[in-house]
Amino acid sequence: MRRLREVAIAGVGLTRFDVYDGEKGHASKEGYELGMEAILNALQDANMEWKHIQAAFCGTVYQNTGSGHQAIDQIGMTGIPIVNVENACSSGASAFRLAYQSIATELYDIVLAFGYEKMPRGFIRSTAWPLWQRQMGFNVQPANYAKETVRYMEETGATEEDFARVTVKNRKNGALNAYARFQKEVTLDEVLSSRMIAKPMRLLHCCPLADGGAAIILCSRNKLKSRSKVVTVAASVLNSGIYGSETGGTGSTGGGGSVRIHNDIVELSAREAWKMSGYGPEDIDVVEAYDTMAPGELWDIEKLGFCRKGEAPKLLREGALDINGRLPVNTDGGLMSRGHPLGATAAAQIIEIYKQLRGEEGPRQVSGNPKIGLAHSMGAGSNSVITILKR
Amino acid sequence: MSGSPKQIPVKEGLWIVPSSPDGKPQLIGSRCHDCHEVFFPKKAYGICNHCQSKKLEEIKLSRDGKIYSFTVVMQKPPEFYRGPVPYAEGFVELPEGVRVQTLLTDCNLDDLSVGMNVELVIEKLHEDEQGNEIVTFKFRPATSNKGRSGG
Repeated sequence: MRRLREVAIAGVGLTRFDVYDGEKGHASKEGYELGMEAILNALQDANMEWKHIQAAFCGTVYQNTGSGHQAIDQIGMTGIPIVNVENACSSGASAFRLAYQSIATELYDIVLAFGYEKMPRGFIRSTAWPLWQRQMGFNVQPANYAKETVRYMEETGATEEDFARVTVKNRKNGALNAYARFQKEVTLDEVLSSRMIAKPMRLLHCCPLADGGAAIILCSRNKLKSRSKVVTVAASVLNSGIYGSETGGTGSTGGGGSVRIHNDIVELSAREAWKMSGYGPEDIDVVEAYDTMAPGELWDIEKLGFCRKGEAPKLLREGALDINGRLPVNTDGGLMSRGHPLGATAAAQIIEIYKQLRGEEGPRQVSGNPKIGLAHSMGAGSNSVITILKR
Repeated sequence: MSGSPKQIPVKEGLWIVPSSPDGKPQLIGSRCHDCHEVFFPKKAYGICNHCQSKKLEEIKLSRDGKIYSFTVVMQKPPEFYRGPVPYAEGFVELPEGVRVQTLLTDCNLDDLSVGMNVELVIEKLHEDEQGNEIVTFKFRPATSNKGRSGG
């Protein structure tokens, strides 16, 4: 493969992830307004103007045609290419990867990646299942995670309490994040007595929905406005659907599965990310793992290679995954606190790593001068995206 | 009155009902001649999505399997499902080497477990607007389990 140019992050922007329906004291905002706000915040952070942006990639899932165009139309139509990316819950990171590639291959110097979503309410609707499977009730996302969770419990001895601890940790971190939907801690008892959704998944094992936007401006090193604390992309990997994924719980269409062939999409993308970056799990100072459902964070940590299968619950119990632990995971509260605006989520994960590496996270800043961080997102289909940043 | 309501499969081609009166239904799958992977439902376009071979044969799958994983859904799905809530669904592993996603029926929802022996049945899923009975495949605890569950 040809040699890739180094790509830096010039600036980032978020909106608060919240409910923007105009009810119960919430502001009323359209999805594209959230995208626009995130872009304006990123421009300010990068000390750049809109006219500097040469291309834009926008991740959304449930917005209308031309979602990126709608947001950008409010700022300026300069004739640059805008490409809308739908890769389910990993759309924002998939947009980031396209922006990264277009600079790394020297097609452009300054590119915007962003994502936003104004979420439909209730269970996330998916048309990825054939009609007959929807009629049979197979399209319940927590149920698909539940089946993967039952296997995980069977194979590792993990318990419901272990999963509840993920929620407790992440909600504790989220209480330090002014951009999270939920900024209030929860107790183990509250999680374990919350309503059952799909056994063994309870309400507080599931991330809440939210509306929001997230934007990242990437550039070649020579286009940066500031040379202090430069953060660059060490790896950007996307893998989609691989044959032999166990139950397909994190996103396939569920029609069946192989008994003989075992492949795991997260393990695959981890191998590729370690190879591309030249780093290994021992080099990583801060992690954004994929906690759309609480148990998922545990097996994510294991599949990414930070510990052996079944060991993540012990790390969590010992406090190793806390902000002041030896492997801080989801320091911004994860999906569990931020909430989950599908198109924005995976970009927000990358933003958290960026800000941690720059030492800008105030009360939730990881100590010890973190230099390398990893963000992992999953998406139905399935998709697995890993981004490794370094300072 | 026309008697019993008309029965319509949730989708054609998922299972076969033998013509003999004591015949039992079987799910229809595909097997790849080249890599020997087995699929359910059968591959509609005749391509093995493991090795891309086009040499697929239609096979009838065993009626008996074991629960590989399952869940009990406590909340009504977003659309189209019109059966009872809560309901159980899961993956059943068949001896041919394929896991089938299926509803689990005729069981105490609290008694389901990984490894439980189950058997295929064709049952009502729901009634449509015209009063027709929409039927589908499900698995239920095998008769061989029932002696043990009480103890």
